[in-house]
Amino acid sequence: MKLRFLLILYGPLLFAQADARRGIEVLRANCVSCHSAALKMSNLQLDSRDGLMKGGSKGPSIVSGDAAKSRLMQMVTHAAQPAMPPGKKLSDADIEALRTWIDAGAPWPKESESVPALEVPSWWSFKPVTHHQAPSGSGTEIDRFVQNRIKKAGLAVSPKASKEALIRRAYYDLHGLPPAYEQIRKFVEDTSPDAWEKLIDELLASPRYGEKWGRHWLDLVRYGDTAGFEQDPYILDAWRYRDYVIESFNQDKPYNRFIQEQIAGDELWPEDPKAQLGTGYFNVGTNRDMLFKVEDINRVEQLTDYVDTTSSVFMGLTVGCARCHDHKFDPIPQKDYFRMQAIFTPAVKHRIFLEYNAARSYDIGLNYREFKLRDVAEEIAFIQKPYSEKIRKEKVAALPKDLKEAFETEDEKRTEDQRILVNSNPGAVRVSQDEIYKELSADDKARLDFLGRRLVGLYANHSSGPIAPGVIEEGRVSQDTYMPARGQDGLGIKVPPGLLTAIGGKDIPDPPEEAVTTYRRKALAEWLTDPAHPLTTRVMVNRMWQYHFGRGLVATPSDFGTRGSAPSHPELLDWLATQFVEKKWSVKAMHKLLMMTDVYQRSSNAMEGVRSKDPENIWLTHYSRRRLMAEEVRDSVLQAAGTLNLKMGGRPVVPPQTKEELYGMSQSPDNFWPVSWNKADHTRRSVYTLVRRSYRPPLMEAFDGLDGTLHCSRRDESTVAPQSLTLMNSDFAYDQARAFAAKLMEEKSAHAIAKAAFQKSLSRNPTEDELRLTVAFLEKQQQQTGTLEAAVVELARGMFNLNEFLYVD
Amino acid sequence: MNQRRRDLLFRLGGGFGAAALSQMLPQSLFADTANPLAPKAPQFPVKAKSVIYLFMHGGVSHVDTWDPKSELTKRSGQTVPESFARGLKTSRIDFNKALIRGTPWKFSRMGQSGIDVNAELLPHTAKMVDDLAIIRSCYGDAFDHAPAINLRATGSQFPGKPSLGSWLVYGLGSENQNLPSFVVMSDGAMKAGNIPYNAGYLPTVYQGTVFRKGASPVLHLDSPAGVTPATQRSTLDFISEMDKRHLASRETDSILEARIAAYELAYRMQSHAPEAVDIDKESDATKKLYGIGEPLTDDFGRKCLLARRLVERGVRFIQLFSGTNLGDDWDDAHNDLVGALGKMCKKTDQPIAGLLMDLKARGLLEDTLVVWGSEFGRTPLAEGKNGRDHHPYAFTTWMAGGGVKGGQIIGSSDEFGLRAQEEKKDVHDLHATILRLMGMDHTKVTYFYQGRDQRLTDVHGENEFADLLLKG
Repeated sequence: MKLRFLLILYGPLLFAQADARRGIEVLRANCVSCHSAALKMSNLQLDSRDGLMKGGSKGPSIVSGDAAKSRLMQMVTHAAQPAMPPGKKLSDADIEALRTWIDAGAPWPKESESVPALEVPSWWSFKPVTHHQAPSGSGTEIDRFVQNRIKKAGLAVSPKASKEALIRRAYYDLHGLPPAYEQIRKFVEDTSPDAWEKLIDELLASPRYGEKWGRHWLDLVRYGDTAGFEQDPYILDAWRYRDYVIESFNQDKPYNRFIQEQIAGDELWPEDPKAQLGTGYFNVGTNRDMLFKVEDINRVEQLTDYVDTTSSVFMGLTVGCARCHDHKFDPIPQKDYFRMQAIFTPAVKHRIFLEYNAARSYDIGLNYREFKLRDVAEEIAFIQKPYSEKIRKEKVAALPKDLKEAFETEDEKRTEDQRILVNSNPGAVRVSQDEIYKELSADDKARLDFLGRRLVGLYANHSSGPIAPGVIEEGRVSQDTYMPARGQDGLGIKVPPGLLTAIGGKDIPDPPEEAVTTYRRKALAEWLTDPAHPLTTRVMVNRMWQYHFGRGLVATPSDFGTRGSAPSHPELLDWLATQFVEKKWSVKAMHKLLMMTDVYQRSSNAMEGVRSKDPENIWLTHYSRRRLMAEEVRDSVLQAAGTLNLKMGGRPVVPPQTKEELYGMSQSPDNFWPVSWNKADHTRRSVYTLVRRSYRPPLMEAFDGLDGTLHCSRRDESTVAPQSLTLMNSDFAYDQARAFAAKLMEEKSAHAIAKAAFQKSLSRNPTEDELRLTVAFLEKQQQQTGTLEAAVVELARGMFNLNEFLYVD
Repeated sequence: MNQRRRDLLFRLGGGFGAAALSQMLPQSLFADTANPLAPKAPQFPVKAKSVIYLFMHGGVSHVDTWDPKSELTKRSGQTVPESFARGLKTSRIDFNKALIRGTPWKFSRMGQSGIDVNAELLPHTAKMVDDLAIIRSCYGDAFDHAPAINLRATGSQFPGKPSLGSWLVYGLGSENQNLPSFVVMSDGAMKAGNIPYNAGYLPTVYQGTVFRKGASPVLHLDSPAGVTPATQRSTLDFISEMDKRHLASRETDSILEARIAAYELAYRMQSHAPEAVDIDKESDATKKLYGIGEPLTDDFGRKCLLARRLVERGVRFIQLFSGTNLGDDWDDAHNDLVGALGKMCKKTDQPIAGLLMDLKARGLLEDTLVVWGSEFGRTPLAEGKNGRDHHPYAFTTWMAGGGVKGGQIIGSSDEFGLRAQEEKKDVHDLHATILRLMGMDHTKVTYFYQGRDQRLTDVHGENEFADLLLKG
């Protein structure tokens, strides 16, 4: 008893010496990787005693001899914000060690010496990808990695899915469309051992593949056909980049090359406009600079978008926080943010001439035409003016007395009430072209008709030019970049271009004398595509995993930082990243690797008890059933109805929307939603429809389609009543149901109609029971509606709304 | 709680019909948990259960309505001192060169409180000043419409962030079975598109639902033309039968069940939503109170009356917009202040006063917060001969009901109405305050996105002023 009491009293003193070392070890293991001379997050260095005493932006870290008053202690005990270290809390023992050490006066080996961090960097995703051997066992390497974890979790694995389910799964995952009934039959009947592999090869070779995976990529790079905000103007040639993306996936362009073209196609391949198409990446986001006025803000926002999007898409990092201060959770100092911004500073938007001479001719053609147009327009106005003035006068004269007086009074002399009247009735005296035409004299009419034909002639051969949006630089010297400094007016601190310090990135040197650009984006592209980069490959293979399995091995696909999820299968993730490089960055090879596994081919029915133990299916015991993406819903309806137009590429198409569906857009639908003249275009795949940043068609909105403003790494899968309303009642659904019904009516009997309806929408035959139900339904609806055709429309409408239609097993 | 179920509930959220969906799902699904859609335990005393936000789209001149400035009248035609103009920017005028313009209207002391307001322009609302807390010190930094509207609605100038209403529904859940919890009524085209009622990075279920004119307020509520209710019912039955078979061949999946329920809800909504917007049974006196039937006030009067009906039905957040990009707008004051402001005030003044009186008479004002505001004010300096330009640096918002003590003025702008001066309140302060009155701590309602717990008020809102409003 006495001894214990004494120990409590004197213990700290007795052990002070040993525990002091422990305190420093705790710092080295947990703090120094960010707060070192190299990174100096929050302007704080914890690798030397001087640094500790000086502290960071918030004052000294420790009060020597008084742990309770030391800021460091408050933060590690989570008594003060931000709690440190990010994402975890030190063990009680570690906290005690720090306390004892500070209370003992924070002794240091040698006063000015600095101690290195135990590990740099400490966060898993910043460490190099390591090579792992798959565990032993049966199945592919991937299966063995997965099986290992399932065994540990003690879960039952679902059996293999039926061939019908598998082919539908593969079609939706690679094409975003269901297989035709005949394709399923063919696959089911093919009993050769390589039937599955052949199917995958076939699907990867189809151009439908690029349309589906291109859409995933467009989500990531915040693609839109318009610039956003009130005027939301068109980015007229954005579609060239969209087509480039689809084409790149179809060609299986190596992912490293794909990155290089997008980041620095102009610097790396100055002679190859096809490679430069990639730099459209910088033009297809929200473009504040397409608006007028505040140019300085617009430029800053543009650069912010480049830094944020590039970090998210290629590195899975959210660096946005570091714009205003050192990142609180990831080792990204504010300086790094501006070093990265400096990479993009010299880039200016530019039109890429896809074929030089043709593009020049195109521009010259525009130039000639514009000169002529100005004269034609002047003559039109000259002819019309007397008519429009006369008609306006007549209109004013015919108005009710108070309105008439208000309009007749000169602007300056109007009373308040007159002003309100004039303001409230802008249309009252407006003169239309039709009204003018009715009044024209024969001569004037003939002349205007002539001018009309002349205008048609001038426009008859107008089309998109061989021109794409991109970026370019104007010399080897850039404007300087400054980091705002607290309490300092003016420009701030000058910052050189450079790459993220936490991943070993260095300053980017000045370009060689002969360079015509700064080579900054080139340096970024090469750094990102260095096989040793710890994030690039991991992030991409994880995205692919997510799109195939519903959940990434890292569940936060664009956040590999400390606030993101830790990988469920770290060794597998690294194995995949290694494979990706070995397979020469081939995305298609990776699809095959993922899809040839048992784990991909499992049934979507979980075994008894599995869902309660592993509700998110982290351990991959079964396939995660998924709802169709918004685009897949629309495309599948079109396919079932037999109206899907598979034409690829080109200008965005604008399918009709009802007036009610267009409600609330910021400008007239005539400017904002000009429906394509060609009806065949109305049923093109969704990836080719106009992506207007300020408006989403209701069908897209209801099914969690993209709002087109921000980088999106994962679509939601919500279940809400408007989904039912739009698929039951919208003009689109009803029109397609009628088209589908018209096809079905070619069948001879109700029986045959029912069968065909199943084959075309669900790619299978109905069961006996379903057939009975369907035929009875047709009979009932025929009685209620009066015709078989109307009954079949109801059947068609019903099929679009089935869970089986909307979900992939 | 089972993660998959939690996930489902989360996805169902509190949005359009979500609460109803959860009710319709088999009880066993939720047996192991309290229903998270029930109003969450408030962090503060709940003063307001519903909010009606009256948003004047286009920018309302503060110095001609709620914030009288005698200095402007005195110095009309002069320029402002350089020190006042420094640093101010707007779209069309130069603050150093443009001339001061006094208000052409007369202000009067109104009510018991004797607050000075423009009773010429706002004869009806002016009589209600004893119910209003008038905040004369609002300010922002965005002087173009779209960024400024985004800012007022979402706390950020840039698109992609969830709106106030989405946050409220996310934070509070839904009290309403068959109607959306966040309803929007507008005049049509708005300069910021649908961003003012967008769910941003929150799930789509938190999106505001636009109520349209006419008997069928929700998009796609009606069956296609020619499809009778019996036919629709039979088709829904067919879908349901098929879905049950589909489900039977799979192990229990709550998402699939939720979708089956969604179809039932959609069908039920076909009757509930039209009932909510059917004002035929309202008395003539009530309609008259709102100005319904009069050409200028009919439209906004109907919207205001519907807002009251929705409050009665437990709708959480109702946002009314006056003004449109493609018709009558508060922004018409660029060229003609007198004409435009006169017109827009006439259209909204009586309906708004009617709404306040009606809510009060029915005892609804006590727990309904009414907020009136705009994306910015207008320049105390003249644009051209007759207009005023955009002005975000000082403007007025008022609040009533929800425990707010009326007849008080909060904050002030400087002598020219150029800058907010005392008790300055930015959008985050306002949002934090609205959340607080609804019982929520703006620092606690968060959603994890892009690496951090996002908030409506981001890292701001430190000047939340609910206490000021409540005690007066």
